[in-house]
Amino acid sequence: MSNKQTEQELEQTVEETQIEKSPSGMKIFWKEILKDKLAFISLMFLVLTSLGVFGVSLILDQEQIVTVDMFALHQPPSSEFWLGTDYGGRDIFGQLIIGTRNSLAIGFLVTLMSGFIGIVFGVVSGYFGGHVDNVMMRIVDFFMVLPNIMIIIVFVTIVPKYSVWSFSLVMTAFLWMGIARLIRSRALQEKELDYVQASRTLGSSHAKIIFTQVMPNITSLIVVTMTLNLAANIGIESGLSFLGFGFPESTPSLGTLLSYATNPTTLEQRWWIWMPAAILILILMLSVRNVGEALKRAADARQRRA
Amino acid sequence: MALLKVDDLKIHFPIRGGILNRKIDEVRAVDGVSFEVKEGQTYGLVGESGSGKTTTGKAVMGLNSITDGDIYFEDTHLNAKKGKKVDVRKDVQMIFQDPYSSLNPRKRVIDIVAEPFRNYEKMSKSEEKEKVKDLLERVGISKDSLFKYPHEFSGGQRQRIGVARAIALNPKLIIADEPVSALDVSVQAQVLNFLQDIQKDLNLTLLFIAHDLGVIKHMCDRIGIMYQGRLVEEGQKEDIFNNPQHIYTKRLVAAIPDVDPRRREEHQRFRAQVKEEYQQSFYDYFDENGMAYDLRNISDTHKVALPERG
Repeated sequence: MSNKQTEQELEQTVEETQIEKSPSGMKIFWKEILKDKLAFISLMFLVLTSLGVFGVSLILDQEQIVTVDMFALHQPPSSEFWLGTDYGGRDIFGQLIIGTRNSLAIGFLVTLMSGFIGIVFGVVSGYFGGHVDNVMMRIVDFFMVLPNIMIIIVFVTIVPKYSVWSFSLVMTAFLWMGIARLIRSRALQEKELDYVQASRTLGSSHAKIIFTQVMPNITSLIVVTMTLNLAANIGIESGLSFLGFGFPESTPSLGTLLSYATNPTTLEQRWWIWMPAAILILILMLSVRNVGEALKRAADARQRRA
Repeated sequence: MALLKVDDLKIHFPIRGGILNRKIDEVRAVDGVSFEVKEGQTYGLVGESGSGKTTTGKAVMGLNSITDGDIYFEDTHLNAKKGKKVDVRKDVQMIFQDPYSSLNPRKRVIDIVAEPFRNYEKMSKSEEKEKVKDLLERVGISKDSLFKYPHEFSGGQRQRIGVARAIALNPKLIIADEPVSALDVSVQAQVLNFLQDIQKDLNLTLLFIAHDLGVIKHMCDRIGIMYQGRLVEEGQKEDIFNNPQHIYTKRLVAAIPDVDPRRREEHQRFRAQVKEEYQQSFYDYFDENGMAYDLRNISDTHKVALPERG
């Protein structure tokens, strides 16, 4: 009797859990990724590259790699130097690993920080509207009229020693406005919908409505902007380094490697110095974009393929 | 005793323009509206679009800022200038017009219906689930739907989820803002009857906003007719439908379609006659600005906005 009862209870709980399962965001994304081969390969590539460069760079000795070796100038790829050496006899493969790590770290950091500031700023500004919106958007305008590239360059020139962190912070200070404006315009639309008013009538506070009702409805926009920004931020860092305003040669990044190509001889005859970095930048950006597209579809039920 | 008392309510929206965004004019969305709703009653607010009926409803709910006038709910002053803001959201709830935008598309049914519980009552997850199941059952939605998203439902079902959410806290007054105007006619009747049932079950008071006189006739005990932000006529259902006094009301009542085809021509003639009367005597019923006059009693229950000369 009691046995039967427990069996019944068990059945009930099984049933309940079956009903309760509604697919979580991660699951939907995973399904979507599996459906789209290109996105899946891109994601795998991104994950493996990041894990690889962060892992290997722990073992590699940066000091040793960036030390000038007069006996190994301009070596082509060999078993000792897998990707050859540059004009200082420094191992390109090691620089590539550490450079990719630095570039990725800056890309992620800048995207996360500028995304966070931009999203919170934009959604609050758009949700409240009126005077709040007015004041907050003037602040954004102020930041936008500042010549940001110039300020970054000045910063880089006057600060003698800067790290991944300080460089990211400076970049973040001038890269959050675009996101804020984009998110604000969506929040302005979103807050006019009845469900926001309905939430008010049901007793939810403004903060709760902003972060639990409005935010989920703009996730697709957030995700897409953030991924596209990730690609763009890696690009900006590489660009600055290429121009010589990024990291010094002692801190390699994809941009510093690429900037060796400004030397015509290197460009024509020593492909091993700049080609791997160039290809890596290209593939990294394409992969980020592919994953972003899959994420975008997963965030919007109507666009899903899986 | 009136459950809800609206006294000389005015809601004006500024029109900004010119240099420095100054206020150059205002829209008088609601301009001096007074009415009372008794407990258990269904009060219908009727009018064409833009007449201010929804604005009035939202003002009661606290969603619009009020320019002037007072709103009392059970003798609590809702828009008192000083002192703490009173929160009557537990007792006053709203059903929205558009069942498509009033449910958050990213939330599951359980999250939508349980939102008021999470704000006002401390409940464990399982208690909450039971309550939501009860509510869904009450509005006739299967409890398997607990974890579905709004887009998986039809318009009528969505509106019923909206109702379930509104009755979750056992409110005393529900403001129904054109709850059926976005629905198919076949579904309208279903939702209306269902609203009447739960009104009886829960002893609810309804402030029913609509533009469809047929719906109003079916639902309401007392009716207020609005035109351009003012009430032009107010009375019991019988007063309005059998003895309309204001020319605007007459025209509205004449506009109700007649289902009997044999009387079609007669009805058309009647309508043409009312139209003519409306055009001829429009200025007798409205002042030089096209605004309705103040309401005056013509019987104990019936008020009409007629000019002073009587």
